[in-house]
Amino acid sequence: MKRLRDFSLAAFSVDHPRWVVALTVTITLGFLTQFPKARTDTNPKNMLPPDSEVRVSNDAVERTFGLYEDMIAVGIANESGLLNPGTLGKIKRITDEILEIPGVAARDVAGFTTIDNVTAENGTLRVSPLMGEVPKDAGGLEELRRQLFENPMFVGRIVSRDGSTGAIYVPLEKGANGKAVADQIREIVRREGGPESYHIAGDPVARDTFGTEMFKLMAIFAPLAGLVMFAVRYLMFGDLFLSIALMMDAMIAIVWSMGLLIMLGFPIHIMSSMAPVFLMAIATDSIHIFNEFYFRRKEEQDKKAAILKTMEAVGRPVRYTALATAAGFAVLLFMDIIPVRVFGGLVAFGTVLLRILSFSFVPAMFTFVREESIKKASQGEDIESSRASRLLGRLAGLGARRPWAVVLTGLAFFAVAVAGTTRIRVNNNMVEWFKASSEVRTADRVMNQALGGTSLGYLVIDSKATEDEFIKTPQALRHIEGLQRRLERLPYVGKTTSVVDYVKRINRVLHKDDPAHDTVPETKELVGQYLFLFSMSAKPSDLDNVVDPSFQKANVWVQLKTWDAKAMRDVIEAAKAYQRDTPLAMEIKPAGIAYFNLVWNDTVLWDMIKGFLLALAVIFAILAVNFRSARWAMVGYVPLLFTVVLIYGAVGIAGKDFDMPISVLSCLSLGMAVDFSIHFINRFRERISSRRASHDPESIEDALIWTAARPGKGILRNAVLFAAAFSVMLFAPLTPYVTVGAFIVSMMLLSALLCLVYIPALIVLSRNWLFAAEEVRK
Amino acid sequence: MTGFMLKTAAAMALAMTAATPAQAQPADAAAIVRKMHQAFFYQGESFKARVKMTLTGASGKERLRELTMLRLNTGPGGPSARPDEAVRSGLSMPKNGDQRYFMYFHSPGDVRRMAFLVYKYAAREDDRWLFIPALNLVQRIAAKDSQSSFAGSDFSYEDVSGRDLEADEHKLLREEELGGKPCHVIESVPRGSASYKRKTSWVDKANFLPLKEEYYDVQDQLFKEFLAEEVKDVDGAPTVTKRSMKSVKSGHKTVVEFSDVRYRLGLRAEELSERALRNPPGSWLK
Repeated sequence: MKRLRDFSLAAFSVDHPRWVVALTVTITLGFLTQFPKARTDTNPKNMLPPDSEVRVSNDAVERTFGLYEDMIAVGIANESGLLNPGTLGKIKRITDEILEIPGVAARDVAGFTTIDNVTAENGTLRVSPLMGEVPKDAGGLEELRRQLFENPMFVGRIVSRDGSTGAIYVPLEKGANGKAVADQIREIVRREGGPESYHIAGDPVARDTFGTEMFKLMAIFAPLAGLVMFAVRYLMFGDLFLSIALMMDAMIAIVWSMGLLIMLGFPIHIMSSMAPVFLMAIATDSIHIFNEFYFRRKEEQDKKAAILKTMEAVGRPVRYTALATAAGFAVLLFMDIIPVRVFGGLVAFGTVLLRILSFSFVPAMFTFVREESIKKASQGEDIESSRASRLLGRLAGLGARRPWAVVLTGLAFFAVAVAGTTRIRVNNNMVEWFKASSEVRTADRVMNQALGGTSLGYLVIDSKATEDEFIKTPQALRHIEGLQRRLERLPYVGKTTSVVDYVKRINRVLHKDDPAHDTVPETKELVGQYLFLFSMSAKPSDLDNVVDPSFQKANVWVQLKTWDAKAMRDVIEAAKAYQRDTPLAMEIKPAGIAYFNLVWNDTVLWDMIKGFLLALAVIFAILAVNFRSARWAMVGYVPLLFTVVLIYGAVGIAGKDFDMPISVLSCLSLGMAVDFSIHFINRFRERISSRRASHDPESIEDALIWTAARPGKGILRNAVLFAAAFSVMLFAPLTPYVTVGAFIVSMMLLSALLCLVYIPALIVLSRNWLFAAEEVRK
Repeated sequence: MTGFMLKTAAAMALAMTAATPAQAQPADAAAIVRKMHQAFFYQGESFKARVKMTLTGASGKERLRELTMLRLNTGPGGPSARPDEAVRSGLSMPKNGDQRYFMYFHSPGDVRRMAFLVYKYAAREDDRWLFIPALNLVQRIAAKDSQSSFAGSDFSYEDVSGRDLEADEHKLLREEELGGKPCHVIESVPRGSASYKRKTSWVDKANFLPLKEEYYDVQDQLFKEFLAEEVKDVDGAPTVTKRSMKSVKSGHKTVVEFSDVRYRLGLRAEELSERALRNPPGSWLK
């Protein structure tokens, strides 16, 4: 029934090609008018809705402690030391100019000229900015050096231990664009120049730069991939018109899908920005139609008949590959994360659309091809004479004639890969999405070597004691101090800061700067008076950032020297262990950007894995329905399973982190890797039954070799085309693109190879089991 | 807890301004600001109030501070100098606007008995001391940055005791009504570096009290807003008995309420001395 309908769509298109093409183009233009309305959302944070738990709790922590969601760290390095009037003057000028940048929370910028310093000289307590004016003489410089290095709150935070690197921490107002602010800071430091080097780091820089770059790359790589595909197609078929037709097929699907997305009012998010490349890849499936058409054209004199026979032969596999791909993406509609759902829906829609175009627009375009150019092109399309076909036949022959060797070799690889998958490390590091030599990553590396760390997490300590203002008790403070020391033993924790540091500092200063009093004082009353004294002169934010007004909660700042999600996970574990070892009526909760990154990465990743598993099940069901046999479905499933396991095994063995971009790829791999099996098995079984029907039965081995040589050539073409297009991405400046490129190239080649060698071997080995069911049914 | 005020004058000031039209329509902005200072920071020769500060964070949580504040004008116009009647009555600014402020904290509990003493000099940096009862220590505190926060509030020291008139360039922008009261609208631009780039003040034409002030930061965005929320007559002196300062960008806010306000207490300078930190002048603190 369904087959008939598709068939008639193809027939209609062949009969009324101009109508079909005109209608398609009109609708495409209609969707194109939506494009100017496109809105983009480059913030990966919006992967989680504003009402998600982590965003709500982070917002609450930010409000309680007057904190900022985002902070840029500006590093100024001078190999011969910062403490000279020239460099200090630059620091002052740069700070002053940063304060004027819109989006910068000027009141809480922390650097040499703005950070509060607590000192006592000649019996006078002073809380004032560390460096109000640039010291002019040696004495002034020496004094500044002393103040900097005797205060543990500065060393590792605003100045490196060796005095060569300084930092300015620039908090951003809500909604400010980190890249825009970073660009202005870059402009400010560029004007200063000199022997100093400048580094701009921090999550908002990485995140917003990544978001912006991603869109730029999509704008470059989607067309570039399209161009490469076009060139490869032209080489394959030698016909410009048909190459353009194939290209249009993909473009139309992209325009319709993106147009619909924009029309429905969704912003184009990072994930949906990848949809065009995915659709372009999925569109390559139509190569099977072309492939078959060229063979048919040689056998069939009438062009229309050739087209229709082509559609009849490839209709079923094309339908089912589209269905499998669409299903692979449609399962994402059931995930938790909205951009993931949008992405899944978008690609599923585009895939279904591509399939409809395959039965209408593509055959219609065939009718316009000039006879001579087809004849010329199809000269080479003969399975006896084509070198590629002979090679493919030999590959399948290897599987068919030496099945045990092939299957066992495959299993050996499989076993190694499975072992490899156990070594997979789940981790995310947004800064490492940039290349090692990139400005973002260099800045991060330099700052993390010199200072306490550019990634910031918080541990909020909530008193569960009944005592009022419990945080002020020496007991609570010592507990927090112990936690800080414990955290600082972790390899990636560069620095921690809490209210305890202020209390100890004041205690020491009020005791004639005696280091013996660098301790938590004995009574709660004294702590209260110290803090009050401090608040008499300090910026309100100094204390607000580390304690809540009712002294029920304290906030420990944890600076991390890496953006690895794992580092924050370790911090949380260490805090839990500390709490177990030294119980006190307090609860420790993580917050901050490092924690947010941990959560959103995990959420996306696990959502994707969930989707992946669901898709595995759905695709098996589709195969079973397509082949009307669970046994054949299992055989068809093997290349998919092997490809996925081999690639993830390689990821594990190579020690590459299993991160969010890779998890996104898993879904793509499902939809694509199964395609070849669907084509191969469908065509193979058709061949067997058609030869039987014409009373000219062929051995299974011969039928396999024919399948590999003819539809197999389509598979090879598909794989090469695909791989060629995505190999462009290997040259991208962002590592996730390189990962996507490498992943897809190896996936296509692997699944093609598995399909052409392994399936024949499996079919030969389990022929009785496979065909028994078939016979029974007949 | 910004300005503190006076006593004497308003009634007399009003009478005088009415009598001398030249003063009723001061041509230059500096003169208006001078009068504002007089009405807001120097009113009466001495002053006392029970002060309740409510600090509200962005999260809506409140912190309370309660203290008693005493003020004594010690320059010409104060009891220690030969009083010149015009100064004493608050009609003109003392040339030497020296003052002493004494603040004794009642709550929160752990800061009870803490006391804070400021000698304010017109010509040089203030002297400040804080008494820390838990250490029985009188600690001298540097007064370098008078724009820093006062006791963790949104008010700065300057907001409490006044900023040097000459530190800013003043300009009369316009005259307009604010909440039904005719006002001079003054713009003050710091001559040196300051926490604000410019400030716009609405000064009540009738009593020269600042009704509203807007502070703009280096990005020329509003970041602090002062409001005189309640003005009462105390001993004939219009006094701001409730004021607020809002840090617009952080959402932090401080409300200061005066009660038990009195002017011209007959305070002696010795009563507000370093010694008084340990032994506060009990009779005034009740």
